[in-house]
Amino acid sequence: MIKRGRGMACMWYPIGFTVAANPSAATVKVNTDGTATVLTGTVETGQGALTVLGQIAAQALGIATDDVHVVSADTDTTPMDTGAIASRTTYVTGNAVMLAAEKARDILFQAAAPLLEVPPDQLEARDRKIQVLGFPSKSVDIGTVAQHSETVLGAPSIGSASYNPPTVPMDPETGQGKPFNTYVYATQIAEVEVDDETGEVEVKRIVAVHDCGTPINPMLVEGQIEGGISMGVGFALQEEILFKDGAQINPNLTNYIMPTSLDMPEIEVELVDNYDPTGPFGAKGAGEPTAVPTAAAIMNAIHDAVGVRITSLPATAEKVLGGILELQAS
Amino acid sequence: MATRTKDVQTDADELVTAREARAPAKQPLTLPADDPVAFPLQLPESKARLQTPAVGQRATRPDGRLHGLGQTQYIDDLTFPHMIHAKVLRSEHAHARIVSIDTSSAEAMPGVLATLTGKEIPRNSFGPTLQDQPVLADDVVRHRGDGVAAVAAVTEQIAADALEKIKVEYEPLRPVFDPLEALGDDAPRIHGGDTNIYASKVIKKGDVEKAFAESDHVFERRYQTQMVEHVPLEPHASIASWDGNGRVSIWSSLGRITLGREDLARTLELPQSKIRLIGTIVGGNFGGKNEITNEPILAMLSRKTGRPVKSVFTRGDEFVSSTIRHPFTMDYKTGVMNDGTIIARKIRIILDGGAYCSWTGTTIGKGSILAPGPYNIDNIHVEAYAVYTNKTTTGAMRGFGAPQVCFAYESQMDEIAHKLGIDPLEIRLKNAFSEGSSSPTSQTLQAVAIKESLNQAAQRFGWKEWQA
Amino acid sequence: MMVQLTINGELKQADVPPETTLLKMLREYLNLTGAKLGCDVGDCGTCTVIVDGESVNSCLMLAARAAGSEITTIEGLANAQQLHPIQQSFEELGALQCGFCGPGMIMSAKNLLDKNPEPSNAEIRDALSGNLCRCTGYTKIIEAVADAGQAMNSAEA
Repeated sequence: MIKRGRGMACMWYPIGFTVAANPSAATVKVNTDGTATVLTGTVETGQGALTVLGQIAAQALGIATDDVHVVSADTDTTPMDTGAIASRTTYVTGNAVMLAAEKARDILFQAAAPLLEVPPDQLEARDRKIQVLGFPSKSVDIGTVAQHSETVLGAPSIGSASYNPPTVPMDPETGQGKPFNTYVYATQIAEVEVDDETGEVEVKRIVAVHDCGTPINPMLVEGQIEGGISMGVGFALQEEILFKDGAQINPNLTNYIMPTSLDMPEIEVELVDNYDPTGPFGAKGAGEPTAVPTAAAIMNAIHDAVGVRITSLPATAEKVLGGILELQAS
Repeated sequence: MATRTKDVQTDADELVTAREARAPAKQPLTLPADDPVAFPLQLPESKARLQTPAVGQRATRPDGRLHGLGQTQYIDDLTFPHMIHAKVLRSEHAHARIVSIDTSSAEAMPGVLATLTGKEIPRNSFGPTLQDQPVLADDVVRHRGDGVAAVAAVTEQIAADALEKIKVEYEPLRPVFDPLEALGDDAPRIHGGDTNIYASKVIKKGDVEKAFAESDHVFERRYQTQMVEHVPLEPHASIASWDGNGRVSIWSSLGRITLGREDLARTLELPQSKIRLIGTIVGGNFGGKNEITNEPILAMLSRKTGRPVKSVFTRGDEFVSSTIRHPFTMDYKTGVMNDGTIIARKIRIILDGGAYCSWTGTTIGKGSILAPGPYNIDNIHVEAYAVYTNKTTTGAMRGFGAPQVCFAYESQMDEIAHKLGIDPLEIRLKNAFSEGSSSPTSQTLQAVAIKESLNQAAQRFGWKEWQA
Repeated sequence: MMVQLTINGELKQADVPPETTLLKMLREYLNLTGAKLGCDVGDCGTCTVIVDGESVNSCLMLAARAAGSEITTIEGLANAQQLHPIQQSFEELGALQCGFCGPGMIMSAKNLLDKNPEPSNAEIRDALSGNLCRCTGYTKIIEAVADAGQAMNSAEA
């Protein structure tokens, strides 16, 4: 018989390295037509870092995503970066990119100020223009300003900056301190069906509500959440490296079971409306937190369905059935 | 699986002949009616990419288009003139002393251009916290994924065949596989010293024992998690090549090239300015590609042979030799009042620390800090220990300990809710952080959104209305 | 041995050792690196191509076995004017992240849509079940395949 159950799990997760300095540096160069190039030492591992960093630079310069080209990951040409680790790229590298773009933008403000007859601090970059705050009709196209700055004034629009999250070391005996500058939060709720004759668990639906501060690119955040959930489903129900006498007995994809398209639940994603003033345009990050609460939510749902409390992962059909039979016996 | 070349030759010849006989006569084909793909494509750009302001746009990814076209160049798609291939021989034992390594038969094979052992590496140790891991084991092997020798040959097949000709003499040592056993006094010391514990963490706040005495209920349970692997679809890959100025360029699937270059400068004893490390688009990382693996080996083989050298992990190597997630054994003891308020939590975590330290420092730190959960608890005691075992190196994997502890603290939360007859949503809302709450390390938390996520998720799911 | 086959409408040939798989022939002899090597034993699907109208793990097929066949690879889908509708949908809906599973996934999807232009969600999942993906959780991929199917149908209508 199929029994249905639901379970929730919430979590918190930090952004950046634990206490240790983990800076990122970036350079932004504005071309004489108002398009721009970003140099970053980070690595695109599939999460969409290059797209997101481009959007951050574009925002700071008031231009569009497509106007920015991002160059990455070459120790000869790109500035240092601690790496695509610990969900830090949007926050730490993003802040570095934003600060670098603002420096480049400030050079443009210096060039535009006499053209628009206002001091530089009365200007903003918006819609591919440099315009006067509160009076947008007084503006010059950003390409014109960049061209003027570089070729007439001899001041190319380029900026470099770095960012490191401020932390406080943890006391060696009590662990008290400020190990991270920001954290993200999330809740996932799973609906499962358990076959009480075989112990097989099917995850039917997961609702995932995640805080990532400002989502720089909501489509990419959703992708991270869906991907994280698939790793969570695998962790909960299927994946296990088996050892015998110190040797792995399933070091291959035939016998290491991981989720396929048949194993995925229907996923509903929502983002919490939140803004972190310490992050670039309010953003925090998303890469790892997405994989954190899934297994717990599924275990709680299994308990709700059949009353079995799984205390060791993965919850294979054997374990679940064993639990069911134990309950029936007692 | 070895194919017998002669049999395959006969079968293959027969197949080709048979198929050609059956196939209709083929003329050299004309190209299809539409123009064949030629770049650039004349496509309208996506609207979201052209909008200002840029933040918040569902902008499509330029690398996404290249992926869909099959144009993305991952490392294994790169070739260089005169490039050769390297393979690494892995240990036959989980714990053994290396008595001798004889590469002479391998070197004598036609097509083999060089071999390498650990003793030839200028500084044969690396690691993000403790440099306790050899590039190639030269003294002791501590798990079956340890590399002991490498071969560079003109084809991958020859390199793989040459590995079988390398003779390694081992003196087996007593291994230990269970982390709890490894804590014992008579367990073999995997890295010498007087204990297999190599990292520990304590977080203490308030007075847990006093609070347990005051609790209406105390819940205790042990939770355990298993070994899992990242399984990036793209295996680890790298290519090394030298130029006439004594500079080495290395293309790698590594996720952190700045520090990777530092690692290479250390292991090869070269100035950083003589090393160029290039990260390409990587086919998935998830934490498993954050340390050097074969890069120093390839740099040395390339230097020896004067040719660019490529190596790609097999899927078997990915499992056996790249890092995996730490199994956690977690003992949770929680003191709760009748109304569901948690007032004390004591946690003991043993991390199965594998053969080498790798990213354990970060995992034990984060795992310990996160272990009490996103809840206002005044009295906390967390103790965590990482222990060496003779199994695959445990390292960074998506979450650094968070998925393991979340499984524990959220399972226990539901157990508490069930026992006290409180709705799982309500008990969490009662205890969860708010803006300005104090974390287990007494940090004042800002931009907190845990209750919002709970309420929003419950609403979207239909928690209150749900029927089994 | 000389193996001749038709790839993306063009006749091609190469002299390969007899134990060469179709995957190795494509990648190393014909410079078509779209199909990927993820496991080399037919478990992951990153090497999927279409051979005589059927999707196939090219790492499990000897090049000799493919001689004389018509092969479609990822490189043969787009033309100078447009992406294939599947590639278009994948891009618009953000279906690929690291992209390594992409070529194989798209070829499996093409094989499905060529035969079943309006697949159900279950039929899509089934058709893609031999293509592993670790980044995306398959969710946007499945959406994109359904979206591409609709686009292909309305184009023909």
